[in-house]
Amino acid sequence: MSGVIVRGLSKSYGPVRALRGIDLVVEPGDFAVLLGPSGCGKSTLLSAIAGLDDIDAGSIEIGGEEVTEREPSARGIAMVFQSYALYPTMTVRRNLSFGLRVRSVPKAEIERRVAWVTELLQIGGMLDRKPSQLSGGQRQRVAIGRALVQQAKVFLLDEPLSNLDAKLRTEMRVELKRLHQSLAATIIYVTHDQIEAMTLATRIAVMRAGRIEQYATPDVLYERPETLFVAGFVGSPGMNFLSGSIGRGTVPVARIETDAIPLNGYPLCTSFGDSREIIFGIRPEHVSLANHETRGPVIEAETLFTEPMGADTLGWFQYGLQRISARLPPQRARGLSGKVRLSLDIGQVSLFDPMTEQRL
Amino acid sequence: MRILIPSVTLSVLAGALNGYALSHWRVPGANLILLALLLGAFIPYQVILYPLVKITSTIGIYSSLAGIIAVHILFGLPVMTLLFRNFYAGLPEELVRAARVDGAGFWRIFVSVMLPLSVNILIVATILQTTGIWNDYLLGLIFAGRENQPMTVQLNAIATTSTGEIEYNVDMAAALLTALPPLLVYFAAGRFFVRGITAGAVKG
Repeated sequence: MSGVIVRGLSKSYGPVRALRGIDLVVEPGDFAVLLGPSGCGKSTLLSAIAGLDDIDAGSIEIGGEEVTEREPSARGIAMVFQSYALYPTMTVRRNLSFGLRVRSVPKAEIERRVAWVTELLQIGGMLDRKPSQLSGGQRQRVAIGRALVQQAKVFLLDEPLSNLDAKLRTEMRVELKRLHQSLAATIIYVTHDQIEAMTLATRIAVMRAGRIEQYATPDVLYERPETLFVAGFVGSPGMNFLSGSIGRGTVPVARIETDAIPLNGYPLCTSFGDSREIIFGIRPEHVSLANHETRGPVIEAETLFTEPMGADTLGWFQYGLQRISARLPPQRARGLSGKVRLSLDIGQVSLFDPMTEQRL
Repeated sequence: MRILIPSVTLSVLAGALNGYALSHWRVPGANLILLALLLGAFIPYQVILYPLVKITSTIGIYSSLAGIIAVHILFGLPVMTLLFRNFYAGLPEELVRAARVDGAGFWRIFVSVMLPLSVNILIVATILQTTGIWNDYLLGLIFAGRENQPMTVQLNAIATTSTGEIEYNVDMAAALLTALPPLLVYFAAGRFFVRGITAGAVKG
């Protein structure tokens, strides 16, 4: 098993700086996900690791070996592409074995490995068909199989599930997770789907505009986002952002609208002056309807509408000039109207500096 | 025939190779090369006939089989390259990337991945070149030399003899025989021709 170390990687397409000094360490056996909106450079980073695109600066190490100048085939990687990129004129069997034939692997060994992936991915019935005769999910399996037969050190997957329908995507997601566990392989996976990222990854790198905003485990990313962008990008429905200012008393308080919300025990990183502007971030599941037993801060808001989502209902409220959403149990959300009292779970709040967008 | 077969095969293969290299590999100045080829396709033959005669005679292939074949390949190259480049540009780039990760090099990708995909366009190119080269009169007359005159030149010689009685039946038969080979190619490959031309057009 081997890890991947990227240092100071930069890449420009003409005047566009696609990657600006990326540092990334993927430990052996990690399932690292590169997550970000379109055009943030995540696929470019993957092709750079694969060696398919030349880079302007920086170095790449795979399995302890410096590979920056090497051809893709000499890096010990295997890759699954977004469009699968199966060779249309070859049968599934020849697609699987192409890479091995190119490398002149002995025939018996090729057959053994093809049989192994066929068994692993359950694609036995389609070995003699052409890719055009397969369904999307089957093509996907063959594409993954083509990467697996290489028995590479590191697997690179470029949005492999984005062309599948929703149900199939969930199935393949589970299957990928199972594969990762049974092979204990190092995987780098690109996606713009944060649910895929959260469910699959052992570590997620959230990217924006050619930079990594935060590289952490899914839990940390969700609970303690380092920047405003990460907080807004991860989580669905998204985090509430309320603007206000900070007040210094015996305990720090957040002044939002007309309320002063005490920030008991919030680990403020820096000391700063009174009435400094802040953005107060709280996830919808940490806002609930208050009752008599509620302790901790409570705010008053006007019900706008509710969105039933099955397991729970998303309630939208007008809070002064701002809006806030809350994830509520469906029974309590039914027939909700007028003024309500909302309780905030202060232990789960994130504060951000509106200028630097960094966590406070 | 001795002119036709080598000229067609070589110019089609060279065009395919050029098109593949220009569309899927980062050749320095690929766009400039393409522009030059495009301009080349617009220059009328007559303009470069004299320089070409000088060049071929300097390297010693003027008025020989090799000479006429070289000239045909040269004139066929711009159009062939454009045709193949447009076809290959329509193929997904990820295919080449996948093959590179699989360890295949420039030639292996061309032979194992690209050529099997290009059956239609190969046939179109073959038809275009066959008709073009077979019908050529000017180049054949100038570069082929006495030994290797193409059919068109020989046909002209038969039909325009001014001595004796004009035998229209013989002329007609000769003309039909001359027209036969391209016709046969059309019959054999017509199905692919339409499909291939539109495929190239839409994807290009």
